[in-house]
Amino acid sequence: MRRLLAYTRKIPRLAFILACTVVTGGPFLWVTAMSVRTTPEILDHPYALPKRLHWEKFVRAWTTANYGSYFWNSTVVVVIAVALVVVIGAMAAHALARYRFCGSGLVRFLILSSMMLPPQMLILSLFQMMFRYGLYNSLSGLIIVYVATQLPLTVYLLESFFAQIPQDLFDAARLDGYSDFEIFWRITLPIALPAVFTTVTLNFILLWNEFLYAVVLLTDNSKRTLPLGIMQFMGGHQLDIGMVATGLMIAILPVILLYAFFSETIIRGMTAGAVR
Amino acid sequence: MKYLIATCAVALVVALWLWRGRAQTDGLTLTIWSHEADEPAKVALREYVARQLEKAHPALRVKITWYEIDGLSTALKTALPAGQGPDVFYIQSDQTDYITNGYVAPLDDLIDWSNIYDWARQAWLIDGKTWAVPQEVYTDELYYNKRLLAQLGFTLPADAQFTQDEFFELVEKARAAGITPIAQGAGDRDFPGAYILTQALLRKLGPEDYGKLFDGTLSFSDPRVADVFRWVKSLVDAGAYPKNFMTMKLAEAHYYFYQRPGAVMLPMGSWYTGRAFVPVDDGGQPPDFPLGIMQFPAMNGGACNECKTRAVGASFAINAASRHKELAAEYLNRMSTPEIGKRWIETVYLQSAVKTDVSSIGGSYGAYYKELMDRQRGAKYFPGDPSDFIHGQCLDTFTQVMNTSFPGGLLSVERAIELMNQGCYTAGDRGAGSAMNP
Amino acid sequence: MATTTVAKQLEVRSANEAPWETLFLFLGPALLIYVAFTLYPVWKTFYNSLYVMTPPHNVQKYVGLGNFVSLLTQDQIFRQAVRNTAVFSVVGTLADVGGGLLLALCLFAKVPLARLWRVVWFTPVLISYVVVGIIWVWIYDYDWGVLNTVLRGIGLGSLAHSWLGDPSTALWAVLLAQVWKWTGFNMIVFLAALYALPADVLGAAELDHCGWTAKLVHIILPMMRPTVVTLLVLSFIGKMMIFDVVWIMTHGGPLWSTETVSTYVYKRAFDWNTFDLGYPSAIAVVWFILILGFVALMTRLLSQRGKLELY
Repeated sequence: MRRLLAYTRKIPRLAFILACTVVTGGPFLWVTAMSVRTTPEILDHPYALPKRLHWEKFVRAWTTANYGSYFWNSTVVVVIAVALVVVIGAMAAHALARYRFCGSGLVRFLILSSMMLPPQMLILSLFQMMFRYGLYNSLSGLIIVYVATQLPLTVYLLESFFAQIPQDLFDAARLDGYSDFEIFWRITLPIALPAVFTTVTLNFILLWNEFLYAVVLLTDNSKRTLPLGIMQFMGGHQLDIGMVATGLMIAILPVILLYAFFSETIIRGMTAGAVR
Repeated sequence: MKYLIATCAVALVVALWLWRGRAQTDGLTLTIWSHEADEPAKVALREYVARQLEKAHPALRVKITWYEIDGLSTALKTALPAGQGPDVFYIQSDQTDYITNGYVAPLDDLIDWSNIYDWARQAWLIDGKTWAVPQEVYTDELYYNKRLLAQLGFTLPADAQFTQDEFFELVEKARAAGITPIAQGAGDRDFPGAYILTQALLRKLGPEDYGKLFDGTLSFSDPRVADVFRWVKSLVDAGAYPKNFMTMKLAEAHYYFYQRPGAVMLPMGSWYTGRAFVPVDDGGQPPDFPLGIMQFPAMNGGACNECKTRAVGASFAINAASRHKELAAEYLNRMSTPEIGKRWIETVYLQSAVKTDVSSIGGSYGAYYKELMDRQRGAKYFPGDPSDFIHGQCLDTFTQVMNTSFPGGLLSVERAIELMNQGCYTAGDRGAGSAMNP
Repeated sequence: MATTTVAKQLEVRSANEAPWETLFLFLGPALLIYVAFTLYPVWKTFYNSLYVMTPPHNVQKYVGLGNFVSLLTQDQIFRQAVRNTAVFSVVGTLADVGGGLLLALCLFAKVPLARLWRVVWFTPVLISYVVVGIIWVWIYDYDWGVLNTVLRGIGLGSLAHSWLGDPSTALWAVLLAQVWKWTGFNMIVFLAALYALPADVLGAAELDHCGWTAKLVHIILPMMRPTVVTLLVLSFIGKMMIFDVVWIMTHGGPLWSTETVSTYVYKRAFDWNTFDLGYPSAIAVVWFILILGFVALMTRLLSQRGKLELY
């Protein structure tokens, strides 16, 4: 009897959980269904399940609708930017965590305080600068800007991880005759690899989704990243909801796939700034 | 140390790769930046002319970069002040700031103007010089569904123009029959929602006062303006527009008109064809769609009921900093031959700024083009829609009020007029230009 | 929270004096990028805010504080944008953090499949605002959007509405999309903090037959104070800068009802067909100073120990 009572008490909560799941997950299922349906089908019955799976829409999106080039641009920009920012950031974090030097407090303060800089403070002048140095409307320019904007967060996270590595390891390495760079390369990085990986995933997702800098700094259709490509299709020449949905899937899929395999790491990465 | 060298080497490679993008315009390449990347007919035509020019000059390469208008404007706004940018670029009438800022070369002596309609050339006449070569010309038209109009028991008068009272009756009857009278939405553009209102203002006030209204020298409180606003308000209240007018996008409005759920009318520039005359699978109108064109309604006591808006659309300018002005001019001349003009009309189904013999226009939409020409008979033209020639705060207010919220039914006549006066009416101490800098 | 351990380690760490070449090697690239692409642009924005770039040929004209004066005294749209952003920041922050706490408590109280729900509820956090914005534009669509379809389905068709087209609902509609995206984030952080709470404290409260609400208010929240403060500040800063979701869903319309400071800066800089970057720079500067002030104030008000965990 008490068990039964306990279960009935739980019903509202379970209903709430179910409702939350429908609200968060439902839209994804909806878009998934739309991505393999054609626009006329969608406009006939927006919520029907696909009668026939129009996989060829993905082929069409990839080739004629340019999503292939958007995807490639996004990949190039994000992979290079994440690689650069993590290497550069890790080196700086290592120096901040390992060495005492005059001005380290200032460096730390500067880097960390710029984490709450509104992008508008940067974007207007970055726009002028990029232009002056011929980096406007180029993927290289966007990569540099991405490295610069993600650097503070990266240094901040890695520094706090690196600082937890026991000092004894470094002393021992030094006695063994390791150079400063070898200490970084052979001790800090391998030991903090999980933390580095967390930082990589965090940066990857933030940059994969980035919109504001991209919309200001890229204009040529052949240079657009995925978020811009989708936006362009949305306000585009023809009404093609089905194709937009296919584009949305192309943008979501890599993130969801990563999430399926590394959900814990990604959750840790995304929340790393708030919980240390 | 090994690592230090390795790091430096990597950094060097990265740096080189980053700077690679800089030097591109060497050699004899004519660069062109154009809007309308997603209008295949226009792309094909401009690329065709480019290939022709390359044939005439074997050492030359003509490279057209295709943009969307927003991207193009941003790119130009940064490139031109730096003395860079393409040799030739797309320009439309709301972008005279490139000219007034001195980034455009005057074309009077560079271009062979004999092929271009004089009035079209006039559109680019600023300070006594001509600054761009017009290619596209369009008029604002009121498209309608012939079958639905007949079904509602209306017959179009011989002059294709209803009076304002007949028009109101049409809206009421359509609504009563459960048909949306006017398909239109203001979700993603700054002009379509205002068509009915601006065209009524043009007919009521006549070209001169209509111009004054938008250059800030005539108040929106003028009784004739208030009359027009009240009439449009009565249409709105009678349910002239779809319920989702506020968020409906331009492409959706087309689909709404000729596919589903269908509407009696669609006010649109004559570039309607760019969306409608494509295969149904790509969002075009059904092949058997009974498309007709009527005049915007005549206003009671209208100063100019035969007035229409005709605007120069796609045009091309030559960068003042270009080193190949002669070649650039040759490209534009080749684009303005009667042959290309005819090709334009037959593939784009839109008027051309090039003097073209329209009597022989064939193709599958020849009948459409003939009806379009019929609607031009006896018309008196005003150049451009307000969104083409107003700027800054006035444009922002126009977009929010006349294009969106007023036809959306959110504002009273008084409030709309008050807001428009705040945004645009600058008579007295401030000139129209200062509306940009509050 | 590891801050204290880090601090301790810093103290006990033996002095690692480094030769300057080493420091240069490690810090050089980061500092170079920082100076060139953060410090310099910020300085440049301050500088630009004192100028008007006027045609022809973009001559810079020094106007001193002129931009600021007209911004603060005359600009009605800016005022509206500030109001909207304030509503967005306050309501959005409370909804995000409150919702996150609710979800976290829900999962913390042992429900079946908690891990699965946690993973599902976190998904929106990973999705780009472009995607989120478009999905929600469709959800709000008047004709075939989910919301109106459901309303019509349950016989409340009269409530069906052009949600993004009506100035009285547009801001809230955008806000909801934003909350949908971020609540999962707060949930995860709260969940981590809940699991970090000492078990005996919660157990003792259980023995006292302490009700759930009382337990929450008197025990759990006070113990999680640093987390709550961090999340409030993070969320608040994020919303003060909100751009993407508004730009994608409404472009600031209708009738400026969703215009935020960020969208207004963007419009003035890139949409108004003027060449002037001075005025938008002034808006950015004013907003930056305001954000700094708010962060300082909130940290002071919300954290008795006067120490913010994040920064």
